[in-house]
Amino acid sequence: MYILAVVFWFFSFRKARGLSEKQIPLMASLTAMFFAAQMMNYPIVGGTTAHLLGGPILAITLGPYLGVISMTIILLIQALFFGDGGITTFGANVWNMGIVGTFVPFMIYRLTPHITSTQRGKFAGVFLGALMADVLAALCAGLELGLSSTFPYGVPIAAAAMVTHHAIIGVGEGVITVGIILALQKARPDLLQLPKLAPSWLGGS
Amino acid sequence: MSSKSLIAACIVLSLLFVTTGAVWFSYSAETLDEVAGQFGIVESRIWNPPFPDYEIPSLRGNVLAGIIVGFVFVMVILGVTFAVGRFLVRTSRM
Repeated sequence: MYILAVVFWFFSFRKARGLSEKQIPLMASLTAMFFAAQMMNYPIVGGTTAHLLGGPILAITLGPYLGVISMTIILLIQALFFGDGGITTFGANVWNMGIVGTFVPFMIYRLTPHITSTQRGKFAGVFLGALMADVLAALCAGLELGLSSTFPYGVPIAAAAMVTHHAIIGVGEGVITVGIILALQKARPDLLQLPKLAPSWLGGS
Repeated sequence: MSSKSLIAACIVLSLLFVTTGAVWFSYSAETLDEVAGQFGIVESRIWNPPFPDYEIPSLRGNVLAGIIVGFVFVMVILGVTFAVGRFLVRTSRM
C-alpha cells in the first residue's frame, strides 16, 4: 500500500504545482477543519461510532491531487502526534482515505453532468460521490483487514463490518459535503470556478 | 466573503468540532478500533506519540486539555497546509 501511496504522492505533488494562490486559503481551511471533524466521532448503529473523511469536499472543490496532499497532511499528523491510524498502516490509510476518498467522489462529480445537467442533479452527484467515497474507502479497509494475517475471520466478515457502518457515515458525509458546496456557492462562488487539479481524462488541469 | 473571513469561519467551526468531539463524541470509540476489538485484535505501537488518543498523558480524561490539544493542532495543520501550498505555488514559477 505504501508503494501505491508513493506513486500517487509523486503525481499529486507534480500536478499540484498548478495550484493557484487563491486556492491556498481554501485548501488550508478545509484541511484544518476536517482534521477537527475527524476528532468528532458520531454514534452509528451497533453501539459504535465513526468520523467524517473530508476527502470528498477537498476533491470536489480543489481537485483530487490537492485532496491527496491535504489528506496526507492530516493522516501524517494524526499518526505521528496522536497514534491515530499508525505508521505501519500509513500507506493503507492514505490509499483508503486519501486516494479512494478523493478520486472516487471527484469521478462521480465529473460524471454527473453527462447524466443530468440540472442543479439538483449536480448536487445529487456531490452527495453520491461523498457517500461512495466513504463506502469504497471502508471496503478497501475491510479488504486490507480481512487479508491481514492478524485477522482470523477473513475478508467477508471484515468487509461487511466496515461497509455496513460506513454506509451510514457516508450519508452524513454527503449531507455535509453538499452543505459546504452550497455555502461556498453563496459566499465565494469564484473559488468553485477555479481549475481543479485532476487528471486530464477527468477534465482537470 | 474575503479569504480571511473564510479562514476565520473554518477556525470557528473547527473549534466547535474539537469541543464537540472532546465533550460528547470521544475518540475512544473509533469504529475501526471498536470493530477490531470485537474480533480480538489489540493495538501494538512501534512509535510512542506525544499525545496518544488526543490527550496529554499526564492529564488523561481532562476535557479542557483535550480541547486545547485539538485546537493547537488545528492551527498547526492550517500553518503546515499554507506552507505546503505556498511551496507548490513557488515551485510552479521556477
